Parts: sequence; structure tokens; C-alpha cells
Amino acid sequence: MNDPYKVLGVSPNASDDEIRRAYKELVKRYHPDQYQGNPLADVAEEKMQQINEAFDYIMTQRRGGGYTNSYNGGANPYSSGGYSYGGTQNSYDHTGYGYDSAQIRQLLQSGSVTKAEQMLNTVPQNMRDAEWFFLMGSVCYKRGWLNDAYNNFVNANRMDPTNTEYASAVNQMNRQRGGYMNMGGSPMRGAGRSADMNTACNCCSDLICADCCCECMGGDLIPCC
Amino acid sequence: MFGYVRPFKPYMRVYEYDIYKAVYCGLCKDMGRRYGFFTRFTLSYDLTFLALMDMAVKGDKLCAQPQRCIAHPLRKKLCATCKNDLGYSSAAAIILIYHKLKDDISDKGFSGKLAALAALPFFKGAYKKAAAGYPELAPQIEKAMQLQRELERDKTPGIDRACEPTALMMMAVFGGLSAEQEEKRQLERFGYLLGRFIYITDALDDLNDDYRSGSYNPLLRAYGLEKGERIPREKLRAIRQFSNVSVNLTLGELSEVYVRLELKGFKDILDNIIYLGLKNVYTAVRTGKFHNRSKKGAHIDE
Repeated sequence: MNDPYKVLGVSPNASDDEIRRAYKELVKRYHPDQYQGNPLADVAEEKMQQINEAFDYIMTQRRGGGYTNSYNGGANPYSSGGYSYGGTQNSYDHTGYGYDSAQIRQLLQSGSVTKAEQMLNTVPQNMRDAEWFFLMGSVCYKRGWLNDAYNNFVNANRMDPTNTEYASAVNQMNRQRGGYMNMGGSPMRGAGRSADMNTACNCCSDLICADCCCECMGGDLIPCC
Repeated sequence: MFGYVRPFKPYMRVYEYDIYKAVYCGLCKDMGRRYGFFTRFTLSYDLTFLALMDMAVKGDKLCAQPQRCIAHPLRKKLCATCKNDLGYSSAAAIILIYHKLKDDISDKGFSGKLAALAALPFFKGAYKKAAAGYPELAPQIEKAMQLQRELERDKTPGIDRACEPTALMMMAVFGGLSAEQEEKRQLERFGYLLGRFIYITDALDDLNDDYRSGSYNPLLRAYGLEKGERIPREKLRAIRQFSNVSVNLTLGELSEVYVRLELKGFKDILDNIIYLGLKNVYTAVRTGKFHNRSKKGAHIDE
């Protein structure tokens, strides 16, 4: 294999983020979708494969994993076309190791939750990265296993705090569980009905009350009434 | 079945309360008509909610008239009539209760066993009839009950897994409200989450009893408690905290699904149940004010 850093066009001491950025840039440039019907399509595809391999190689090396020879067997995650599960992250972010995250995302989107879970379960414990937890969280969520879903999302977010997709999954669940309880406040408040006691009206009537009291005692709080 | 799905009465308008009662009475009579007198005593708030959802999804208007009733022999009460098709709800009630009784026979204490054994014969025929009327519902409930027994036998840890049977049961029941695919899917999700809420609430409600008798309770299991006299204070606090989180997650998601349902009527009453009733019941259970007495309460207290 060529020097993976050269393939991505970054220096060997570039940060993970820089590498990821360079990788995304290249993927955008050589994405097979852009070469449809183009005579250069096969060249682009070859290039794409090199880029993927280089990226996977660097990332695995950096994680200290000794596992280098099982890329997804040329199963290019981009050949399946534009999936957009979750919607917040573009589809280039291929950081899955040893499992085909694109395929799992597609399974999830089409509703084959059990199949997706089976695939995730085959991933050995020490290779479960942030995305794995995110995908597992999605499986649980689809199933209605909200506690597990929440824990998995939180895990994913902790392992990769920079990823907006994971962060927004956690945020959404936090918002939801907070949202219900705030909908009516305590049970003594109404849901959408104006029975709330802390309104401006109440403030006025309190003032008037105070005024009456003052007048009884000979004083006056609000001079006009 | 449990009575946890009920409106929060102080925030009901008077006419809403009347409608609610009319549906309740109508369902009670419908069960009596179809499945025999004794089945009427088993009606609970949850099934009234189901009947209301049924009518709301289908867009049925309430058709009520004052009728006499065995629980209120002196005064005529507003009561939904047979023009309102409550058949699905009463069949679901019978199927659920029958399985509950069978479940009681296998795992309740002596008196519970006896009561269930005494009641079961009355339901056998009714169950057959109800199951025949809705052939796809009964097997699903049966499967869920089977799963429940397995979970209890294995003393499964993990609240999500423990909720599964009840959730699946409610999923089947609510999914049956619509034949249209997309709507059915939504209703199933709604039912699933409602079942989750019911199960967690029930587990919290039975916490002390289960601890004393050493029965399976996922909340106890999660904190490594088996059996004993009193639950240690700090553990109890942790359990409550944990069940709060779980219930909040569930209800948050439930209300997300609920707002997307297309309901053609009874919106205010259903809103009350979803946004206030459930929360209020949960709070009452958590603070120990939700008495077991009202759990089985056959009739609305005035």
C-alpha cells in the first residue's frame, strides 16, 4: 500500500480532526456519484478505495488496534447511494471498524431492526467505537427500549464528543424527557389551559388586595383606587 | 387491567367528565351484554381509555342516553349506547383479564390463587368468544404472557427487557384500532410506550410487597435487592430516581407519538389523560398515595 498519509495528503503528525477533514474533502471529490456515466468512473473508484483504506489504516493505527487486514473487503460504503439516517451527519463519515456502518444504517432506515442488531452484536467488545454505540442506541430506540437507547447514545457522545450526530441524539432524548414534565409543571397546573396561577392577572389582583389591606389600615398603596 | 391510565379529574370540565363516565358505563354495559354479567366487574380505567381512543381514531360521535345501571340503581346515568361500537374494547378487556387471571393462578399467593380460580370459569366462555371475534389479537397477547413468564422465571435484569411483555401486549391492543398501515404503526408505537409506562409504574407500586415476598421486580433487581423486611433508605431513593428517569423518557416519547396521531374527537379528554392523568398517577404512586384499593376499583367513585 502507498503511504496512507500521502494518499490523504496530510502530514504524519496531523491531528485526527485534520485527517478526518482531509478524508471528507477527498471523498467529496472522488465520490462515485459524481462520476456516473463518466469514462473516469473506474479511476475514481480505485482512488476512492485507496482513500478508504488509507483512512481506515491510519485510524486503526492511531487507536492502537492491531487489526489491519479486514477492511470491508472492498465493500465500498458509498456504492449504496445516499442514505441519510439521522439526517445531521453527511454520509462520508466512515469511521466504523470491522462492520459496515452504512449497511446497518440502511437496515435501520428500512425498519429491519433485528437484522441490524444481529450485525452489531457480531462486533467484538474491544472494537465497539462511538458509532457502534450510536447505532446500538438507534436499534434500542426503534424498539422502544428507551433506557438502553439513552445509555448507548450517552456512551457514543462520551467517546466522541465532537460528533454532532451523537450529541443531538442525546440532546433530543434529554429534551423529550424534560419536555413532558414541564408540559404541565406540577399536577396542579393545566396542560395548555390557562389555569396557571403565576400570570400577570394574578399579580394585579395581588396588588389590588394589598391596596385594600393598606386602605383598611389607613394607608394607600395604589392612589387611584 | 391496572387502572393507571386515567384522567386527572380536577382539571376536567364537567361535560368532559360526563362524557368520560358515559363511555365508561357504555363499555361496562357492552361487556355485560356480550360476555355475561360477571365480566362487568372487571372494567378498569385503562379500557375506558382504549374505548375513547377507538372512537377518536375512527371519528365516532358519542351517542349517549340516560340509562339505569346496577351500580347506580336509583338514578339514571348518561351511558353510551350500542350505536357506539365498543366491541373491540370489550373484547380486548376480556382477553387481557383472562390472561391476567391465569397469570395470578400461577404466581399469586394462596388467596390470590383462590380468587383467580373462582373467577376463571366465568371468563372461559367469554374469552373464547372474544378471541374468536378478534383472531389476531388473542395470540399476540398469549405470546406476550408467555414472554412474561419466562422473564419472571429467569429474573431478567434490565428494565427495558422487563417492560417488553406488557409493552408488546399494549402494542397489540392499540395496533388493533386501525387497519391502515401507517396509522397502525403509529398506534402500535403509542401502545408500546404506554405499556412501558404501565409496567414501570406497576413495578414501583409493588416495590415493597415484592421485596417482602421476594417476587421478581426489575426495579429491585436493578439494585441487587432480593428479599427482606424493609428496603434500605438510600436504595429506595436510588430506585425512585431511576424509575423517574425511565418514566420521563417513556412519557416524553409517548407524548411525541401522541401529538402525531390523527384523533377526530375527544381531544380534550385524551389530552387530559396523556398530559395530566399519567403524570398524576405516577406521582401518586411514587409518593405512596396511589392506594391499591383503587387499582381494582370497578366503578368510578363519585
